[in-house]
Amino acid sequence: MIKIKDLEKYYRTEEVQTVALNKLSFEVKEGEFVAVMGPSGCGKSTLLNIIGLLDDPDGGSFEFNGIEVSGYKERQRANLRKHNIGFVFQSFNLIDELTVFENVELPLIYTGVKPAERKRRVEEVLEKMQIMHRRNHFPQQLSGGQQQRVAVARAVVNDPKLILADEPTGNLDSSNGNEVMQLLTELNEQGTTIVMVTHSEHDAKYSHRVIRMLDGHKVTESLLV
Amino acid sequence: MIKNYIITALRNLYRNKIYSSINILGLSIGLACSMLIILYVKDELSFDRFHENVDRVYRIVSDEVDVEGNVTNKNSHTGALQGPLFAEHVPEIQTYVRIQSQHMDIRIDNEIKSEELFKVDKDFFKIFSFPMISGNPETCLTQPFSIVLSQDMAIKIFGTTDVLGRSVMLKDGQDFQPYQVTGVAKNTPINSTVRFNILIPQQLDESELSNRMNWFNFFQNTFVLLAKNADLTKVEEKMDAFYKSDSKEARDRMAKEYGMTEAMENYKLQQLTDIHLNTELPAQNGLTSASNPMYSYLLSGIALFILLIACINFINLTVARSVKRSREIGIRKVIGGERRQLIIQFLSESFVLCGFAFLLAILLLKLSLPVFNNLGNKALSFSYLLDLKLILGYLLLFVITGFLAGFYPAIVLSGYNPVETLYSRFNIGGKNYLQKSLVVFQFILASFMIMATLVIYSQFNLLTEMELGYNDQNLVEVSKYPFERSELETFTEQLKKDQSIIDISGKNGGSWFTAAKVNGETILQFSIETVDENFIPMMEIPVIQGRNFSRDFPSDSSNSVLVNETFAKEAGWKDPIGETVNFWYNDNEKYQVIGVVKDYHFQSLTNKIRPQLFTMNMRNEMGKVFIKINPEKTTNALEHIESTFKTLYPNDPYNYVFTEEQNLRSYEQESKWKQIMLFGALLTIFVSCIGLFGLTVLAAEKRTKEIGIRKVLGASVNTVVATLTKDFLKLVILALIVAIPITWLTAGKWLDNYPYRIEINWQLFVIAGILILLIAVTTISFQAVKAAVSNPVKSLRTE
Repeated sequence: MIKIKDLEKYYRTEEVQTVALNKLSFEVKEGEFVAVMGPSGCGKSTLLNIIGLLDDPDGGSFEFNGIEVSGYKERQRANLRKHNIGFVFQSFNLIDELTVFENVELPLIYTGVKPAERKRRVEEVLEKMQIMHRRNHFPQQLSGGQQQRVAVARAVVNDPKLILADEPTGNLDSSNGNEVMQLLTELNEQGTTIVMVTHSEHDAKYSHRVIRMLDGHKVTESLLV
Repeated sequence: MIKNYIITALRNLYRNKIYSSINILGLSIGLACSMLIILYVKDELSFDRFHENVDRVYRIVSDEVDVEGNVTNKNSHTGALQGPLFAEHVPEIQTYVRIQSQHMDIRIDNEIKSEELFKVDKDFFKIFSFPMISGNPETCLTQPFSIVLSQDMAIKIFGTTDVLGRSVMLKDGQDFQPYQVTGVAKNTPINSTVRFNILIPQQLDESELSNRMNWFNFFQNTFVLLAKNADLTKVEEKMDAFYKSDSKEARDRMAKEYGMTEAMENYKLQQLTDIHLNTELPAQNGLTSASNPMYSYLLSGIALFILLIACINFINLTVARSVKRSREIGIRKVIGGERRQLIIQFLSESFVLCGFAFLLAILLLKLSLPVFNNLGNKALSFSYLLDLKLILGYLLLFVITGFLAGFYPAIVLSGYNPVETLYSRFNIGGKNYLQKSLVVFQFILASFMIMATLVIYSQFNLLTEMELGYNDQNLVEVSKYPFERSELETFTEQLKKDQSIIDISGKNGGSWFTAAKVNGETILQFSIETVDENFIPMMEIPVIQGRNFSRDFPSDSSNSVLVNETFAKEAGWKDPIGETVNFWYNDNEKYQVIGVVKDYHFQSLTNKIRPQLFTMNMRNEMGKVFIKINPEKTTNALEHIESTFKTLYPNDPYNYVFTEEQNLRSYEQESKWKQIMLFGALLTIFVSCIGLFGLTVLAAEKRTKEIGIRKVLGASVNTVVATLTKDFLKLVILALIVAIPITWLTAGKWLDNYPYRIEINWQLFVIAGILILLIAVTTISFQAVKAAVSNPVKSLRTE
């Protein structure tokens, strides 16, 4: 599903150029659950952003479902993204002004799903995430675990082929963290490909394969199953 | 999707109360002002358009030209001849109506009142579509001694409008005559140049018509109705050609007898709808509500300023707040929002906010209408708003404002990179020149308004407080026309019986101007005052050469005059005493100058002092008395004057006015400008300041961490306040520097209209500058102090 070859990314300020990704290559197959690990600043999040079509690489190639997308324009990327990719962030990134229901509904609005269908699908996914009873609450009224469940619900409501999770348990206590990991595992079992960036060895154990990075390079890759 | 946008917008507004209030309040003030102006301009443009034949109704006007063909004067008046003769000889002129305004005494329940009425020709109602309640519009003005009343006048006289056939007593010459009511018309609309309460027929006087010297008498307005599809230029050419041939003999006579060779008229037609806003050919001589398009421009300018400042607030605050909203933008983009969709979202937010502002503006409009009516001399009512065009205009204003305020922020905000916003790498645009420029622009406008207001106030003070050169205090004027000299004597005698009366003097009524020859052939134009020997001393006008009139010199009342300094100067006299003034057109009547008075402002200070001549000539009629009263016995004096007048002249209307008040009244226009500018300045500075306040709040929030660090490192509250205040204050000072030359030029140009004007000096700018800086510092420091005294530990922790 994802094929990355010699991927490069630099960050430039006026005086310094920092290498975030240095000739990085790997593949992720459909249905896989891959964890990317490494110390802070090793380029994990940059990688995730490029895979998520939020950021452009400065060199190398990136194929998504067999199509080269590294040169895509903003609009093409947005289009590909909204139909295929769901995001889960460490800090949940829910919109404070919208209720649980409205937050989950938003991706469906952007993909032009009709209201009745939206309602059905949002309710279905909220049921699945066991957060239906909180549908009319605002993010600030929820616990961290609940917020992350809403974020997961929002990530999957559009039935994406790929979920990108950036330290999804980073802001959660262990029991809530486990619950979220359980959710991701279930999604993966239902066929969703997952790429997760994490610091936690515990979380990485839920994945099939762990890619370890340092200074923009891939240093090791280990299969867990 | 729109629902989602609106929900987000509403919740955003609710959560950010300061920001929302500033924007809504500012925009609503801007919108309310703009709506008022649209209403005002609409009313200004609506004048006289209600007449059925409005496109064919014209007023006869003329250009006075000299021998070289240069226009020396524009004349909106006509005499007895123009209407009937042009109508007879120019086929396209279907009919005409002459409107002569005059005051006549009318008896209502034994009370004598002086009322303004129009003497008009019979086709008045054919040209003007004023609806009638009763009477036949075609015949009501055909018979002599018929009278048409307005609804209000009928009620005032008879208590009812059902008065056809009843009699009204009007004073014609010395006696009251019955006039039969032949019609009652609805009250004339307020947006009409022709407004009447009483109409009586103007008769065609054959002897008057046959005297072609009457071509040179101008005292009334004449309107004509042109045939459909008449070619205006051709009609004017025909009028002109006819006038030139018909008046030839009379013009030759004028040249021969009076030496007037230069004046020649070029006749033209002025469309009825053009009169209201025309300052060269204004509504005058009975026509009312003359306006100046300048008011429309000025008011529109102020409204536009305020709206623009409010929009700038919106833009600045939205962009400044975007740091807070950047995360939301990032999320929306990540989950599939396209830039286009985000632009629409931000625009909808701008429209939602504008919508609230719009509703509040309607409320403000309703509340401010009475004040505005007073300022603008209007009678606009809220029901005026229910007009399709006006509603469309307001909706357009709403849409434009929504776009103006929302478009730039929408473009900027929607362009944020989601990665940067979500990973807190986001920092809004470095030096932020746009925000700074907009703040500077706002304060240029606000400073300009404040300085301009100060200039107008100073000029107004000069006009109202300048020494007039005579004492206008405790002077009561009572008019009666004519005031025979014998009557004057009796009146004076009776008045003086009461100790509240100090002195009395008679003068001609109104203002008279004439011309006479000095030094042989030089023609000098001047103001002529017929007075008694008491006038100059009572008014405390200094006689600087020669002497005042005196009863000891019997010739004073027949061939002596006094002149003012300007007269002597323009005549070129070094020693005026004994010089001769020759009224050549009165059989070379000659007068000798016996004294020179110091120049005094006998007209309002908006006019330069003109040459002035005083005479006691017994042939001239008196029309007014000045009564100097004891200020401690004012009530007593007024009662005594009234009872004496009413006893002596029961058939004359009694009116009095204090000269001092009368003088002040001549500055009504300036007083209005003063108020308009004051309101404008207050609103402009208020809207600018709430914007500045909002920006300080956001700047303080943005710099919470910096403030915390500074305080941990030992900065005092004062230093922190100074740090926060400094940046904004620099912008305000820059705005001041730009505004000063702009004000200096504009105000200078405005002041050039006044012969007596203040000089704009640096103190004025210093005062304005201090005022603006004080307002700005207060606005900014309010928030800066709050930020500076906050606990640094807390601010660092939240960061």
